[in-house]
Order: sequence, then structure tokens, then C-alpha cells
Amino acid sequence: MRTLVQPGAPLQPRRLLEWAAPTPDLRVTLAAGQDLLLGLVAALAARSVSHAAVQVLSADIARMAYLTGQPDRSGERVATYGAPTWLEGPVTLLGGNGILGPGPDGDTLLHCHAVMVDAAGRLHGGHLPPGDCLLAAGGAAALVTPLREAAFAAAFDSETNYPLFQPRRL
Amino acid sequence: MTTTESASLEDGRLGRIAVIRLRPNEDLVGGIEAACREHGLRHAVVRSAVGSLVDAVLEAGGQTVSVSGPGIEILTLGGEVRSDADGLPLAELRGTIADSAAQVYGGRFRRDENPICITLELVLQEWLPA
Repeated sequence: MRTLVQPGAPLQPRRLLEWAAPTPDLRVTLAAGQDLLLGLVAALAARSVSHAAVQVLSADIARMAYLTGQPDRSGERVATYGAPTWLEGPVTLLGGNGILGPGPDGDTLLHCHAVMVDAAGRLHGGHLPPGDCLLAAGGAAALVTPLREAAFAAAFDSETNYPLFQPRRL
Repeated sequence: MTTTESASLEDGRLGRIAVIRLRPNEDLVGGIEAACREHGLRHAVVRSAVGSLVDAVLEAGGQTVSVSGPGIEILTLGGEVRSDADGLPLAELRGTIADSAAQVYGGRFRRDENPICITLELVLQEWLPA
């Protein structure tokens, strides 16, 4: 198994775990004409949910972008994102996972990766940037597990030189 | 537990929620098993996971699929952790990934062959057999 040397010194512990309390789940549906990620953030904010685990169950997409990882030639980090790939609809989202929490600037952020199939039947997948996934007529559905007592919050990670979601007691 | 010739039904309920991060170079499968062992989590299901791998090795359709990174994105992750008779947690994980050329692969993640690149953000929920 190949391992990489990160730009910063290794931090301990290597595995972090905090316990959150069991809570009822939420099933969220979004109507067409809005952004998938921003729509989920706004819908959950209306129920005062700002920390959650998200499973995107379905989405019909009119136009979207996604990012994939690649080596960072600058040496500042071991990997970075490449240029966005744009897809014109109809695009069908097959599945996606997300983590909702306060981002580096304090605004609620949904970190989401997903797998999709395009109008020609080709598979795609990657990181979804907020604001670049316009929902089509079918809208979207997600199963959301709100996190209470412990959750993720973004903080600068000196080992990887990225702001990253870290488990935190609330 | 109800067992018939063709099925096994286990009564139980979902319990506590584990908010987990694996740091770089931890193995996806072994790291999750170790986190569960360290915190006394015997049985669990994956509720959500977002992260990346240095390289990836999947089993699919009798084939071993090796994908070179770094920066392989984990697109979806599903599966569960079950403890064996000795109480040792074993993770059975399947999912989809994309490489830097946006090629998508899917399969079962092999133990000790899927090192985390930048991070894994993971939420497991405890399964409590009755």
C-alpha cells in the first residue's frame, strides 16, 4: 500500500471519533429550478439543522459541474482539484454522500461527492461545488441524519494544508 | 435471530452515531475497523462518507481493479461493520470511486490496499441486535 508524505507533520490521533446522539432522520425533497447543494442547505436551515450526514437518494439535473482530484504539482499539498467538468442534462444522479457543517468561514457547507450518468449513458463522478448543480423537473430526494452533541466543523489541518471537516463536540 | 433455509432475520435497532475522521495514509477498511475497535463499536452501518484515496483496489465481478491516484474521490460508500465471535470488528465496504480522468469504478474495497489521501469524513450508526 503506497502512502504519501504530507506537507505538514503527522497529527495524532490518526483516527478521530466523537459520539453523536441518535435522532430522528429527515427525508428531504427539492423541487426543480434550484441548486442541489444550496437547496439542501436552505431546506435544512429552515428546520435549524446545520450539522448532518446526508445520503442523496436521487436527483434529476439540468446542468452541473463536478471536480476530480489530481496530484498537486505546486508541492503545497499532495492532491488538488482539476478544472470543472460541465455536463448538460438530462443527467441522472445515481447516488451521493454528503457531510453538512460549518465551513471555514462559518457558513454552513455541504461537502458532497456523487456518481451520475449523462444523457449518453456515460458514468461520471466527483466533488460537487456548491451552486453548480441545477435541478430538473424530477427534483431531488435525500435522507438526512441530523447530528446532535457531536458533528463535523471545518478547521485548518496543518498536516494536509487544507481546511477540513473535523469531528467536534457541540 | 430467526434463521430459515434461505434467510436470517436479526431483530435490533439503530443506536449511537459515530462521527469519524481518518487521517492520511490510514487504510479505508482497516482504519474503520480500528476506530470501531478502539471505541467499542461492535456493529454499525455506514450513513455517509466523503473522502479521497491515494490509490484504490476494488474487487468486482471476480476481478481485482487497481486504480492509481493520488486524489481518487470516494463517490459513494455503503456497507456495515460486524464483529466476529471474538468481538473483532470487520468492515464490509462497497462503493464507487472516480480517478483524475473522471473514470468511474465500483466494487468491494480490499483491506490494506486503500490508503486515505487527504481525509475520510465518515458517519456510522450503531446497530444494536436485540
